[in-house]
Amino acid sequence: MTQLLSFLNVTAGYSDGDTEVLVLGGIFLNLCAGVSMGLYGPRGAGKTTLLRLAAGLDLADSGSVLFEGRDLAAMTAAERRWLRRGAIAFMSCENWRPPRGESVLDHVSAGLLGEGVSARQARMRAHRALEQVEFSQGAAGPTRGLSQAGCSRVMLARALVQEPRLLIMDEPAVTPSLGDRDRFYALLRSTTGERGISLLAASEEIAALHGFGVLASIAGGELCSTEPQGVVLPFSAPAGKSAQPSASGGGEQG
Amino acid sequence: MSSQGLQKTTWMRGPSTPLRGALLALLLERPGHGGDLANRMAARLGETWRLDTNDVYRLLEQLARTGLALARDEPKRGNHDRTHIVYHPTEHTSAALSTWMETLLPREPVRLGLQAKLAVARPQDAPRLIVALKAYERECLVLAHMVFPTDGKARSWAALCRDCTRDAVSAQLQTEVDWAARTRKRINEYLEHQPEPADASQ
Repeated sequence: MTQLLSFLNVTAGYSDGDTEVLVLGGIFLNLCAGVSMGLYGPRGAGKTTLLRLAAGLDLADSGSVLFEGRDLAAMTAAERRWLRRGAIAFMSCENWRPPRGESVLDHVSAGLLGEGVSARQARMRAHRALEQVEFSQGAAGPTRGLSQAGCSRVMLARALVQEPRLLIMDEPAVTPSLGDRDRFYALLRSTTGERGISLLAASEEIAALHGFGVLASIAGGELCSTEPQGVVLPFSAPAGKSAQPSASGGGEQG
Repeated sequence: MSSQGLQKTTWMRGPSTPLRGALLALLLERPGHGGDLANRMAARLGETWRLDTNDVYRLLEQLARTGLALARDEPKRGNHDRTHIVYHPTEHTSAALSTWMETLLPREPVRLGLQAKLAVARPQDAPRLIVALKAYERECLVLAHMVFPTDGKARSWAALCRDCTRDAVSAQLQTEVDWAARTRKRINEYLEHQPEPADASQ
């Protein structure tokens, strides 16, 4: 299988006054084309940091993040932005602030404008995407005031319309209804699976991630995954935040 | 079987009580042979239960001995020359199931496999504990991965019960993953602040 996304000994952190806080401590991860990976972790575990690095929104302190073999850090900011308008779709409910007065259809089609696609074509493709996420009835309505379930579907449509190879979703279905959550994740798996889109989604609930090809957890800056390679840990040097790789998550990284 | 009191004292004892109770419900849904009941049970409980088919046969025999199931030798479907034992409910099965449903579960002792190791670990065992915790965390993830996803469209009572069962398993495994990761982190933080290497006392 083709490797789509790779993390090679990636570290990331931030400064808290005089203290350096390590969020990711030597992450190894491979995500192959067409594979879905669910990333579980409690709040503050480093899920969003990992996803933002994968999308090229932030850069690692050390190590490399590769997309289709290209080091994201070696690209210009404009190249990374271009990547996020096409091959990589990054969706986060938390920061979703659509402009006032914008309709759902305008919001979804806006992702295609400036890509050499006519406004009419963009709206047609947006219509199709909204049908695929079973939200065509809300196309003419405003984006402001959407329910959480509606917001998740519109975000997914906006992602699908750009025909990405990798879809990254940060806590995509924060909804009080378990039924809504499960319906959304079923839709997410089916729409991306049918198109061969790789999926990297993070959630604070393991139950939301059932059905993903690979399940991984993140805590204490380390990744643990259901892939057999994820269990490898050196017996002799387990303590401390040394240069030892923490674990591999998914794919074929040993 | 002469009374419910007798049933209560004989079959609702021991760690296999949940499986016996669940078998009563399956028998009331429809009779079946041991393999059929084991398959139906596995489908209901999910793969994470790791049901042993031999246990099902053994428990069915027990239920038959206590009068809560009736074992009949019946011809196999499609091969009438051969027979197999088919279990049926008895006149006591329904009442026994209701009694089990309304009986409060005894509080089970918290005995995590790693608890004893943690309780007596020496500083030099810290590396081994971390390896064990990491392996346990992964095992929980593997089990969580085995839980079949829902489509969120549960409309029937059976589908609701199935979804709630999955939810219970997921919630438990999530707690275990969190605990293992937190403990590993705490041990690592402790080791980082030790002036001497932990293995120095060896």
